[in-house]
Amino acid sequence: MKTRHLKNVQPGRRRFLKQSALLSAGLAVGFHWVPGVSAADDREAPSAFTPNAWVRVLPDGTVKLVVHKHDSGTGTRTALAACVAEELEVDPMAVEVITPENPFFEAYIHPLWHVFSTGGSTSVSLEYDRLRQAGATARELLVAAAAKRWGLAPAECRAIDGRVFERAGDRSAHYGELAEAAARLPAPESVTLKALSEFRYIGKLRRKRNALEKVTGRLRYSIDLEQPGMLVAVIQRAPVIGARVEGLDAGAALAVPGVRRVIRVPARPDVLGGNREGVAVLADDYWSAQQGRSALQVRWSSSPFAEFDSESLPARFGAALEDPAAPLVRTLQAGDADSAWPAAAKLLEADYGMPYKVQNPLEPICISAELVDGRLHFRGGVQVPSFAREAALTVCGLDADRVVIEELISGGSFGAREAKYWLMEVAYLAQQVATPVKLMNSREDEMRALFGHAATLHRLKGALDSDGRLSALRLRALSPASGEQWEPGYDERADHMDYSTTEAISAWDFAYRAPNLDLGWVRHETGVPTGWYRSVSFIPNVFAVESFMDELALAAGRDPLAFRLAHMQERPRHVRVLMKAAALAGWHSPLPEGTALGLATNQGYGSFVAVVARLSRNEGVIRVERLSCVIDCGLAVAPGGVEEQVYGGLMWGLGHALFDRLDIRGGEVVQSNFHDYRVARMSDMPDIEIRILEGDRDKPSGVGELTSPPVAPAIANAIQRLTGQRLRSTPFELTLPG
Amino acid sequence: MIKIQVNGLSHELSQDLASMPLLWVLRDKLELKGTKFGCGKGLCGACTVHFNGTPARACQIPLSAAADARIRTIEGLSENGDHPLQKAWIEEDVPQCGYCQSGQLMSAAALLASGSPVNDTSIRAAMSGNICRCGTYGRISRAIKRAAAEGGQA
Ligand code: FES
Ligand code: FES
Repeated sequence: MKTRHLKNVQPGRRRFLKQSALLSAGLAVGFHWVPGVSAADDREAPSAFTPNAWVRVLPDGTVKLVVHKHDSGTGTRTALAACVAEELEVDPMAVEVITPENPFFEAYIHPLWHVFSTGGSTSVSLEYDRLRQAGATARELLVAAAAKRWGLAPAECRAIDGRVFERAGDRSAHYGELAEAAARLPAPESVTLKALSEFRYIGKLRRKRNALEKVTGRLRYSIDLEQPGMLVAVIQRAPVIGARVEGLDAGAALAVPGVRRVIRVPARPDVLGGNREGVAVLADDYWSAQQGRSALQVRWSSSPFAEFDSESLPARFGAALEDPAAPLVRTLQAGDADSAWPAAAKLLEADYGMPYKVQNPLEPICISAELVDGRLHFRGGVQVPSFAREAALTVCGLDADRVVIEELISGGSFGAREAKYWLMEVAYLAQQVATPVKLMNSREDEMRALFGHAATLHRLKGALDSDGRLSALRLRALSPASGEQWEPGYDERADHMDYSTTEAISAWDFAYRAPNLDLGWVRHETGVPTGWYRSVSFIPNVFAVESFMDELALAAGRDPLAFRLAHMQERPRHVRVLMKAAALAGWHSPLPEGTALGLATNQGYGSFVAVVARLSRNEGVIRVERLSCVIDCGLAVAPGGVEEQVYGGLMWGLGHALFDRLDIRGGEVVQSNFHDYRVARMSDMPDIEIRILEGDRDKPSGVGELTSPPVAPAIANAIQRLTGQRLRSTPFELTLPG
Repeated sequence: MIKIQVNGLSHELSQDLASMPLLWVLRDKLELKGTKFGCGKGLCGACTVHFNGTPARACQIPLSAAADARIRTIEGLSENGDHPLQKAWIEEDVPQCGYCQSGQLMSAAALLASGSPVNDTSIRAAMSGNICRCGTYGRISRAIKRAAAEGGQA
């Protein structure tokens, strides 16, 4: 889930819409889909209109929305289709959402496709207006076509449920019949969008697409792909980071029935996010490949990482924070914190640590590739098409026009499918063999793939004045750069800011105010690869800040809710979610003996959230009994989808608090599967209460990565109130001595 | 030859496959791709099937141990996707990515078929071997209760 800096987003209307006359059949409304990452994209106006997304109405009445939005189960496509369908007056479930790599699209349109990726919880919020405009434009053209056919004014016709009707008569025509005529009409200069009160689908959708295929096992995921002659590959990757193959005896592996090839896959340390060294076993099926792999005899070279232990990281990080030469990027400055310390009535200092974590989508990474006639075909859940192109170029020397991506659904991503090592590996294998290759990770591979969430250390210092107000706050967030460094231009940024590492602690999004603020990111690279992970840096940043706010409140003798409210920025929506969550959880009501509440909050992607955790203690065992969560995400296009994203986020947050922890010892990942790397199961789930505030905004904002970060601090805050103990590193041990 | 019965159909498989886990026999030899791979160690439940009527992890059963067994997979849960649980799953809009759902449904179907009372405790006990990374547990629980209330035992 790529988090992107949204400060500069401009919708870029000027090259937004145009219907196309290029097409052989039907009506197509193309629109430019601004990637929404920076103002730079908007500055260079293209000489010709180069749409990168399309709404198509075919002569048979089918409506297709062509976008590249990878579907890993987040319901994005349902919500996107709803935006188009609402204005086009068709059933959203009947809108087919396809990617430009789909053969259908290739056959009709060959635009210059601007590559971008799904991620950052921004899919729906950024495209909301553009998609509605496109839908409305198509509708107006269809209405105009009908009006022309009947000799009426467009105002005398109306569109509904895929047909245009004559208002005062009984003539009607199906969209399909009108599509060709509509394609020859000039596009309207402007279109009127529906008012909120007229919505039939937006804000009302409760169901997602493909449900029947998902409950019958008929939906085909990347792992299910079969092709004639296809070989299944598994890769024994260097167990110690940085090790190379020094000796390889493939004899026993090749003797395993079904095993066809053993291929050494060279490391690509020259590419950021590139793969490490490995030995691939290719066989007729996965089981044989795995058998072959266990028969491999590989001698690995030594590596400097053989000395690396994640256990020593807190000490190492602590030392790095003391080092005046450590690269510091200031993210928020106000007043002069250093001069405020001596005047403080109370001073507090605390360190908060989080370990490496793994995304673990339930479908392990799986991708197929085949080199045919000089073109590299990728088949599978390709969330970032530009990485597939980069893999083709760096591994096979193939340009973008030689790359074909056939998109399949994937069983979750959470950032794992935003890595590129597996695309490079499969490209390499496809180049080595003349058949289609399907590369599959085992769960153990997934645990050891790295490119997960970075280990971090946050050091905070706060000063309270004699009235118990926060007079100064300093924060140093120690972390490596995020996956943003894989993107072009990262190193040239004037502010040296890594927006995905400084979420919730920067000048535009920090939740609190104080006369003296000094917040900053200390970049520290251990050399252990890390990558994208759902909610990215919000997780450690919010854990540290929201824990520390409670520690400050306690020191000030204030109620944690009142203390937060007293220091919040002027953000009424943020204040409101806090108040509502407190009310929902009974913050001010008396609690039974042995029970405590803890509160934390977060904002991001234009949305706000507050979580209250209720914990109980029984004979030294602490239980998370309930999570009460209130969010404000503006307009919820598909409320059912929002609710499940919120729930999923809370479950992830519970995982951070209680389970997620990947250890590296002697340069090797220690954990291997779900027995030693636990994830939340149904039996771990507390009661979950979710309230989605609505009504005061007519725009949607992101939710997918909003709700996990406040869970761990809310739990830590409750633990302190329950036991007096402050836990400052995750995962928490909930069995207390005695 | 090893004989197994899957969704009411008999299959004969080569003795060479004796040690291959049932999961891969189903997926790669019988082309029944609805049963999913998530961990290969009996830890995630994605590969849950009914083995002589009880829920079992297909990744942990070598084909030899399945000789003469009756196996039911997601493809055999109903003819047209209209098992009461499948209907309830759609009603409650349970699946997100959907990858875990074949296994979830097979575990839930075994719970209903067992005739034990359906409540939070029995649901948790029956379902906690099935991991969902997307976080559909709340809806799964609601859907099982809905199907039970509508009398679905099938
Ligand atoms: S794949 Fe069998 S339990 Fe996970
Ligand atoms: S729906 Fe995605 S893993 Fe369960």
